[in-house]
Amino acid sequence: MELILNILGAIATVILAFVVGMTYGGIVRKITARVQNRKGPPWYQNFIDAYKLYSKSTAIHHGWMHRMGPAFLMVTSVVTLMFIPVLNDGGWFENLTFKGDLIFLLYLMVLGALGMALGAGQTGNPNSAIGVTRGLSQMVGFEIPWVMALVALMIQYKTTSITGLMEVQQESGTWLMFSSPFAFIAAVLAMLGMFRYSPFDIVGAPSELASGPVSENGGKYLFTMMSSGSIYAFVKLTLYVDLFMGGADNLIILVVKTFTLYMIPVLYGIVSPRYRTEQAVKFFWGWPLFFGLLAILYAVIF
Amino acid sequence: MNTIVLIFVIFLGGAILTFFAGRWKGILKEILFLASIVVPVVLFFTSVKAGDTFDFTLVGFEFQWAMSPLGYMFALIVTGLGLMAAMYAVAAMRETKNSGLFYFNFILSIMSMLGILFSRDLVSFFIFWEIMTWSSYLMVVYQGKDVQKVGIKYFVFSAVGAYAMLMAIVTIYSLTGSMMIDNLVKAFPGFDSNMQLMIPLLLLVGFGVKSAMMPLHVWAPGAYSHSPMAFTSVFSGALSKMGVYGMVIVMASLVAHIPEGHWFREVIAWLGGITAVGGTLWAIAQDDAKKLLAYSSVAQLGYIIVGVGIGTPLAMLAALFMAVMHGLFKGTLFMAVGAIEKQTGTTNFTEVTGLIRKMPWTFLASLMSIIALAGIPPLGGFIGKWMLYESLIGSDHYLLVIVIFFSSTAAFLYCYKFLFGFFLGQEEEEWSHVKEAPALMVIPMVIMAAGTFILGTFPGLIMKPINAGMEQLGFAATQGKYWEMSMLFNEWGDQVVLKPILYAIIAVFAFFLVFLLIKNNKKTRYVSTKDISTSGEVPKEHENLTFSQNFFQPFLRTVTPLMKRKIDTYYNGFGKGVEALFDFTRRIYTGNGQTYALFVIIFVVILLLLKSTLFGL
Repeated sequence: MELILNILGAIATVILAFVVGMTYGGIVRKITARVQNRKGPPWYQNFIDAYKLYSKSTAIHHGWMHRMGPAFLMVTSVVTLMFIPVLNDGGWFENLTFKGDLIFLLYLMVLGALGMALGAGQTGNPNSAIGVTRGLSQMVGFEIPWVMALVALMIQYKTTSITGLMEVQQESGTWLMFSSPFAFIAAVLAMLGMFRYSPFDIVGAPSELASGPVSENGGKYLFTMMSSGSIYAFVKLTLYVDLFMGGADNLIILVVKTFTLYMIPVLYGIVSPRYRTEQAVKFFWGWPLFFGLLAILYAVIF
Repeated sequence: MNTIVLIFVIFLGGAILTFFAGRWKGILKEILFLASIVVPVVLFFTSVKAGDTFDFTLVGFEFQWAMSPLGYMFALIVTGLGLMAAMYAVAAMRETKNSGLFYFNFILSIMSMLGILFSRDLVSFFIFWEIMTWSSYLMVVYQGKDVQKVGIKYFVFSAVGAYAMLMAIVTIYSLTGSMMIDNLVKAFPGFDSNMQLMIPLLLLVGFGVKSAMMPLHVWAPGAYSHSPMAFTSVFSGALSKMGVYGMVIVMASLVAHIPEGHWFREVIAWLGGITAVGGTLWAIAQDDAKKLLAYSSVAQLGYIIVGVGIGTPLAMLAALFMAVMHGLFKGTLFMAVGAIEKQTGTTNFTEVTGLIRKMPWTFLASLMSIIALAGIPPLGGFIGKWMLYESLIGSDHYLLVIVIFFSSTAAFLYCYKFLFGFFLGQEEEEWSHVKEAPALMVIPMVIMAAGTFILGTFPGLIMKPINAGMEQLGFAATQGKYWEMSMLFNEWGDQVVLKPILYAIIAVFAFFLVFLLIKNNKKTRYVSTKDISTSGEVPKEHENLTFSQNFFQPFLRTVTPLMKRKIDTYYNGFGKGVEALFDFTRRIYTGNGQTYALFVIIFVVILLLLKSTLFGL
């Protein structure tokens, strides 16, 4: 009985993440359009797109690895979602959160990217492979300040678990973005790369790579990738809120906090042109790295 | 006859027999070769237990062969990998002419590794160490390519290591009057502080060469890539672990007992960290799979050295676990490269592409090993990495954590390059004839790849021998089972039980795979890699769309400042300096009798001038 309830809770979490992520995506499209002085699609356009993709049938494939790619991607999104506490008191969305561990999460996050990269590789499309190499390079870039921020938190609060860090915030009453400000700055700068909005949209670069690794996929494959991307965006935002902004007591607060956070990469991106790959990597090894080091120093001293 | 002696007699006899049987044709010599590996290994597992001893005296030296728990754990790597590689080697070396020499060296190196693990006295340790060096040197020059460059380099570094070790052994003998390792460990805390530093330092130079520690690693890429691949899997997987074995003993039994131990450990750990980063970056830049894996081995050994260097129980546990895992996955990967070399004749990423549908089993084995190498859960590589991170954070090595993390993130780049370069991408006409490697080569690869999965799910299987080994090293005083520190109850009390997570991953994966394929499977048809859309254009049959040149160029552009400093340059500079010195000496010895007469006169004049100061006359 308990198992069934757990599975139901997990499914509810996935649906929540899907809906929120898709809606955010639609709103971002709208905002981008308004900044560029266009009218833009309605906020629910992403749902329409998803439904259209879902109902299309697939005619061709490029082999087994190609077909498994999106499934790998989905594994990462869903399993990381299971690890991240959605709300402070757990409740319906508890899932596997009591075991949440940051190092485990960091590595699990790569599984999907690797599977997807292999799937994209089998299609033989050179643009896909170029996109993948760019994405991996950029990942090496932003992971460094991001890990520095996390290590700083681990040092300062003597725990590697997400729930442990959330408890720290609840006990002290202050958010970690105030009690360890440099770690927050480093993490937010790393987030710019994580979300792959301009100037860091080098992976799927629409003009020169024709959407990169995603090309050669259609129908259900593209639907799976799209929903996985939406869930993953929600996962990342919730993780940031849990780590730095005191978590959320109910869904409304969660939506407010995540949306505010989401606007950082989005608004930064709308007005920025695209970097070249080496520029993107160098960006993360400049100021973000400096703030990461500062965060570790701060954590060691205090 | 004692079983321990019997094992070595069979090894030695088998080696000599197969050497002479090398010219025979047919299956007999292969059976002989397999038998002289399998029989001793079976004997080892059935009748040798940790603690068995064999003593004898020869030319005034006491010899003692015994299997310690730590040695037993390393023996698992050697024998396991040795068996698999022997099976693989039979198929891989079938068409080579001089297979007798290969078999001879292969058996000898397995024997010498087991011998090192058996030795409880320094004399037999050194003898077996030298047999290991010689047999592996003959493997490096076996194919006759670049003997001058690669072979000599390996030999010079091995010789430097061996002399350092010999010096340490002689010093130990003069200090303790005994060649027993146990006596050394007992007497070591009583040595004066200079000796306490010098002995570990000399021993570490010896072990550091074999485990490819920076700055003694320069031989490794060449030597690993020039040996026959059937041996390189043992070379990188097991032989390098002998260096780790020695380091573990030195760090845990000697360095731990000296006052300067702390900074000594720091230096070793940082050397390991630098090795890891440097190896990874150079691996990314390689276009040849053998070189890539060789540099990757250097990097992976760097992680192990970090763990050994830190020396806390958890770090040591992580290092030993990673040593086992590295043997498994790097052994598999070198075998896969060997299989590809046999089937296509090249190991260059820029030449061969799109093998996934032609060599599916090789791909599967490579994929699993790569996932383990990258440290992605749920395979075994992750557990080792995780414990390493925890031990680093727990022992306040924050910058080292970042260094290791950088290296292991950058490792994804060469991991992808390996898989993409060989198996994915465009399928070219040129390679359409390629078939899967012979079953005898594929089976060991798949078994070992499955091993990474099994150890990722049931790490307790290997944790128990490691645990016994660590108790022997003297960590036991504080806690009972070391794996409890991390696997179930880590230092800060967070719980992670891996199995439900594994099931969750498999369940989600299966669900979405079914979701993608249901109703779709039969209707979809396979299309070739030419049938793609590149920016809306469909490429023609003859157009070559392979992407393999300058694979990570933008990234490499970013890290060039880090890669400018090559250790090789310094060694070359040193070599040039020495050459200049010799050149100068040559000028003194002109070969002209008159010059020598002049030297004698100058010498006498100097003596006369300085006689009062020199002799007080």
